Amino acid sequence: MLSYLIGFAGFALAFMLQMSVFSQWQILSGSADIVLLFVIAWCLYDRSKRLWLLVLIMAWIVGAISALPIWIPMVVYFVVYQVSRVFQARLMQSPLLGMILLTFGTSLLQMVLNLIYLFVTRVDINFSRILVEVALPSLLLNMLLAIPVHAVVREIANYAFPKGVEA
Amino acid sequence: MIKKLFTPKNLRNLVIIMVVVGVLFLAISGYLTPIFSFSVSPFISAQSWLSQRYLAFSDFFNSPRDMATLRSENARLENEVAMLQSEIVALQENLAQSDILYTLLDFARTNPEHEYVAATVIGREVTPYLQYIIIDKGSNDGLRHGMPVVTQQGLVGRIDALISNAARIQLITDANSTVNVKLQTAGVEGLVRGSVTGEITLDMVPVDTEVQIGDVLMTSGLGGTYPPNIFVGQILTMQSKQNVLFQTGSIQPVVDFTNLSAVLVITNFDSVDISPLVP
Repeated sequence: MLSYLIGFAGFALAFMLQMSVFSQWQILSGSADIVLLFVIAWCLYDRSKRLWLLVLIMAWIVGAISALPIWIPMVVYFVVYQVSRVFQARLMQSPLLGMILLTFGTSLLQMVLNLIYLFVTRVDINFSRILVEVALPSLLLNMLLAIPVHAVVREIANYAFPKGVEA
Repeated sequence: MIKKLFTPKNLRNLVIIMVVVGVLFLAISGYLTPIFSFSVSPFISAQSWLSQRYLAFSDFFNSPRDMATLRSENARLENEVAMLQSEIVALQENLAQSDILYTLLDFARTNPEHEYVAATVIGREVTPYLQYIIIDKGSNDGLRHGMPVVTQQGLVGRIDALISNAARIQLITDANSTVNVKLQTAGVEGLVRGSVTGEITLDMVPVDTEVQIGDVLMTSGLGGTYPPNIFVGQILTMQSKQNVLFQTGSIQPVVDFTNLSAVLVITNFDSVDISPLVP
């Protein structure tokens, strides 16, 4: 129960930081997604059976507050949850590697889903320009911030899961 | 009588008085200064030596206590300085906020045809693919879906979603946003579209229209989404390709969307939803 509370508090803090600070730290038109990074890191450390419920709630909150259609965070966070389970089983000794791989993969997935959404809503999409000015800068920022976010979450996880944390 | 007056005792006293008065006179006149200096200097040297030794001895015992006092005093003063500095920062912040609010108030006074609710920007969209902001006023403050949002500079966007005490604003730079505009000098109408990268472009301007660079764009009121005559931006460049009906151009928005901190919501304008009429 405590781990859920700590996870949710961390998510709420990440969400507030994202909306007030990290959305304004831009390279060209791209910005980092601290909420996604937190969810990835948390999923890599949390071994609770009902983590999927917490991830679902997080995705719902992001979908409700953001202008994104709710299915985008639902799909992305579900993928994060599923892949993190696989990584927990196979990459137990190197969660940082899992963090970097998941950050890279889900950032690309998020870009694809956003483009699909914009395409469906009849927005004129200049793919190469979006790639250069939004997608790649966002990916770069996510990769850069993945390591510090992972370090912070690992410290938090030391309190939440004292026995299951990797050294 | 005189013999009685000049006794040896009296003469001796008289001589002593005259000598004392003479010495005093010489001292006051400054004639004795070198003698005094010469005679006093050994005493001064000795006094100085003694005093220095005493002060050194006294410091040896008292300085630790003084250091501790000074350190605590220094810490107290440093705390006070830090507190005052943070107070200065807070006051400067308040001043900047007040400046913005005064400017918005001026704008509201000079545009009395509308009713406004001032709101502070408290957040921005999570994803970089969409351009939205969150403000701290909602349905409890009389805001409704579709209400236009402006600053003292010009058009910002419209309310896209709201709860009791917060609202989400779709900026005109959003990829799904379109604004009907008119070109002030050319006198024709066009359409301003947002984009994923946050830039805005002018579209649907007839190809035979002569458009000047720097021409001002204002809302036309067509479509019922925004009230007319709100500044949108200025034309930076225009492009017209062969065999097309319309020319396009890039726009410099009048609002600095990266530094939005306070906005005004126009509350007496009901936007018209024409989406059911769109085929």
